[in-house]
Amino acid sequence: MDTRTSIDADQRERELVITRIFDAPRHLVFQAWTEPDRVARWWGPQGFVTTYWDMDIRPGGTFRVCMRSPEGAEHWKQGIYREVVEPERLVFTFAWEDGEGKPGHQTVVTVTFAEHGDKTELTLHQAVFETVERCEDHRRGWTSTLQRFAEYLASH
Amino acid sequence: MLPDRLSMTFSALADPTRRAILARLVSGESSVTELAEPFEMSLPAVSKHLKVLEHAGLIKRGREAQWRPCRLDAGPLKDAAEWLEHYRHFWEQSFDRLADYLDELQAKEEKDGHEDEH
Repeated sequence: MDTRTSIDADQRERELVITRIFDAPRHLVFQAWTEPDRVARWWGPQGFVTTYWDMDIRPGGTFRVCMRSPEGAEHWKQGIYREVVEPERLVFTFAWEDGEGKPGHQTVVTVTFAEHGDKTELTLHQAVFETVERCEDHRRGWTSTLQRFAEYLASH
Repeated sequence: MLPDRLSMTFSALADPTRRAILARLVSGESSVTELAEPFEMSLPAVSKHLKVLEHAGLIKRGREAQWRPCRLDAGPLKDAAEWLEHYRHFWEQSFDRLADYLDELQAKEEKDGHEDEH
């Protein structure tokens, strides 16, 4: 299995973009993202277990998922599916909940699935701005700003 | 994690003028007039941007009436940078698991395929 991940330098300037090639056909990768029981099998860091999931995977449908850390802490995440275009594209909003179930800062996640022979190139793009429109307006440069400040902090 | 503060940080950063102002302040404190110099905009317009930055806790301003130097307070930016790293980590690890799961699914499909042939 090819698990290499590449992050394009130019894209990194803007927001979170992760590309990875999976050694599996596109329909299978898409199913793993759009069939709730399948999503629950892998979504979360190593050692986390999905303990609750309710995913209505269609445009306008919502999801709410709980994952439990190896230490036993519960983390709830929620969002709304905006686009579900089989087998190539999935767009949804994403927010972690606070202790009272209120969603925090909302982001927009766009996942694209491209065929590479028998393999699938998956690109995940996560924008920090609250709507796609705002993100498109303002996407340039903010991460590089953070980079500069990270350097600033390191030197102070 | 401080979601409300993060939203404020990100929305304050969602403007090229404000990012330029912050970048300028990396090299030290500065007056409003000095900060306004590189931009084709009025002092009140620059002051408006400074208010947004101040409200988000990204800059601090001196108390003197005439000379109110602005300086950077990078704490919220550090939180924002950490937040982004947190997400990167979250997805990278999820993808490791997805890769393993896809292997499993494919092995199963192959096995089922062979069984159908018999």
